[in-house]
Amino acid sequence: MALPLKYNFRNVFVRWRATLATVTGIALVVAVFVLVQSLAVGLEKASQNTGDPRNVMVARKGSTAESSSQVTREQSRNILYLPEIARDARGRPLVSADVVILVNLPRRDGTGEANVTVRGVTPMGMDLRPQVTLTHGRWFNPGRREAVVSQKVARRFAHCDVGGRIRTGGTELTIVGWMDGDNSAFDSEVWMDADEARSAFDRDNYSSLLVRVADTNQMAALAKRIESDKRASLRAEPEIAYYSAQTRTAGPIRILGNFLATTMSIGAIFAAMNTMYASVGARTREIGTLRVLGYRRRSVLLGFIIEGVILAGLGGLLGCMLALPMHGYSTGTLSFDSFSEVVFQFRITPWLAAQGVIFAIAVGFLGSLLPAVRAARLPVISALKAV
Amino acid sequence: MTIPAFIIKNALRNKRRAALSILSVAVSLFLLVTLQVALRELTLPPEDVGAALRVAVRNKISLANLLPARQLPIIERIPGVESVTPFTWFGGKYKNEEGMTFAQFAMDAKKLRKVFGEAKMSEEEYVAFENQRNACIIGRITAEKYRLKRGDRITLESTVYPVTMDFQIVGIYSGTVDDRNMLFHQEYLDEASGLPGMVGMWWMKVTSAEAMPKVIQRINDTFANTSAEVRAESERAFQLSFISMWGNIRILVTSVSSVVVFTLVLVSASTMSMAIRERFRELAILKALGFRRRELFAFILAESFGLAAVGGLIGIGSAYLLYTYGDISKLTSGVFVVFEVTPRILAFASLVAASLGILASLLPSLAAARMSVVEGLKTLD
Repeated sequence: MALPLKYNFRNVFVRWRATLATVTGIALVVAVFVLVQSLAVGLEKASQNTGDPRNVMVARKGSTAESSSQVTREQSRNILYLPEIARDARGRPLVSADVVILVNLPRRDGTGEANVTVRGVTPMGMDLRPQVTLTHGRWFNPGRREAVVSQKVARRFAHCDVGGRIRTGGTELTIVGWMDGDNSAFDSEVWMDADEARSAFDRDNYSSLLVRVADTNQMAALAKRIESDKRASLRAEPEIAYYSAQTRTAGPIRILGNFLATTMSIGAIFAAMNTMYASVGARTREIGTLRVLGYRRRSVLLGFIIEGVILAGLGGLLGCMLALPMHGYSTGTLSFDSFSEVVFQFRITPWLAAQGVIFAIAVGFLGSLLPAVRAARLPVISALKAV
Repeated sequence: MTIPAFIIKNALRNKRRAALSILSVAVSLFLLVTLQVALRELTLPPEDVGAALRVAVRNKISLANLLPARQLPIIERIPGVESVTPFTWFGGKYKNEEGMTFAQFAMDAKKLRKVFGEAKMSEEEYVAFENQRNACIIGRITAEKYRLKRGDRITLESTVYPVTMDFQIVGIYSGTVDDRNMLFHQEYLDEASGLPGMVGMWWMKVTSAEAMPKVIQRINDTFANTSAEVRAESERAFQLSFISMWGNIRILVTSVSSVVVFTLVLVSASTMSMAIRERFRELAILKALGFRRRELFAFILAESFGLAAVGGLIGIGSAYLLYTYGDISKLTSGVFVVFEVTPRILAFASLVAASLGILASLLPSLAAARMSVVEGLKTLD
């Protein structure tokens, strides 16, 4: 017969002082684990949330980022009238030739500088990226040195308020508006007119082409047609797939999170063990009584393990709650894919929170296993005699 | 029984608990040292011997923008400049690896000795590198990682240029802080890419540390208002600008370290109080025997301090041994090359351990001081 759960619950709270310390300790471990992993999740989500399912991205084969890709004007002309490409009402192909430049800008808080992605984009390119909306000011005018920055970038870099001027090399850009990329990779970008960008930064070639297909079933056919031109040596893939692959930065963050979690959990297991051993020690007589009442060894064993799990589970829940206020908080770091600042949010998904609690429960289980075995093995008579 | 013996007996009488407390302190301090070292390496990367005399010049727009090769003779004429070489990022992928695993740069082989003198190679290797068009040299770490030796041929596909190039390894160097890079001829790259006239950066050695600020100023001024404005800076400043790109990583590691320290204090304090509370009866007896509060404090403090000290010694010591004698680039799969536990970090961690021992004894000491003898004698558990 198993011990009633209520018994376990109440026992957890009887020695509340020692329990509290252990629960808080486990909570902090879980909070650190969840927060660090939520950074990795946020980075991945920002990449995965980018793009339109009807778009195909064309870049130079072998390039790992748009900024290091080149598409010549001739190559771009050859692609423009391929049959799979959708046309607008006036019969113009839905293709945008963008130019992507990395620009070194000072941080707003004065702690240094970082590279920011500047995208020279055509009006067509803006239509092809419906995720991006204007939030303040106005869009840039073609033919002028004007730019619109993502509001998340604007909060991190100097002179990016509407009306501000950013100087880079010999070029000065006036900020005329802020945009929002709906938590996509475009949240890390500055946009300006494509032709203006090419003249300001002295670029003959485009960096990439974004192409809308008329029928999504023809995506593979279009990609094949573009890639089959061996001289051009271009690569075409769905825009969503292109961005989803840009998650190399998340790798080291995950490694850090796992390293911290492993090391800290070892400490937490020791703490849980200490608490549980103390609990067993203090309740020797009680355990003897339970055994005399007819509870079997395995019920006692299970009872103590359940206590440990409840204790740690509470810690896990508390840890998730501690981490939760950071959800949605915007932060940024160097992207290993684009070699420029990527802005993203802490993302605490339900699955991540569940992982945190499961992790805590594992700590509780491992920490209470040995003390529970000890409790179960206590000889009845001497246990009863214990003071 | 002497008093020290009494304290040691007390500390070890519940061996399991003593061991668990010591180990949890050890694990936490190990983690603390690791994070501190990582933070230091991230924010203050190691410096090469020759760094004090080196200047890096990049395009003012950003590192990702190229510079025109025609700037070379202009820079060479600036007084105080001893030797200049182009330094162009190739971003090559080796074999079928997912991304780039070591950096490659195209440069002027004849300038290697003058600009990057700390790279140690035999005379024969230097000469071979200077005279063979498709020659390359690689750092010792990369050579060991891929079991490459002199005479081997390697093929790299660039992520920056539309080319795949073949090289022959003619030398393996060591002695720089990061013996991983591969160096080859700028001319060979120009030829293969068919885009001569552009380089990634200029790196140069100046004649003296005093000349450096002037040289930097001169270079920046010379190219101001040209089609390719530049940013010249000391090697150190260049490295630090890289670190600024890491963004909020520093805050992240710092806050994680604080949480670790806090958790550690909490857990150890609770363990210590547990150990003392179990002994209230005994402490009451000691009081009844005529020991003073002060002496009881000393017993508790010594015990707690001792446990923390042993835990600290194990944690800090193992971190020190691992990072000083272990192969750190293997452990972190190449993220860190150097992982130096500095005296400063050792001192900080020891201080944390010591404060922990003192803090953890405070609560139980207070409780012991407040209890009356009678009450203490009545306590059962």
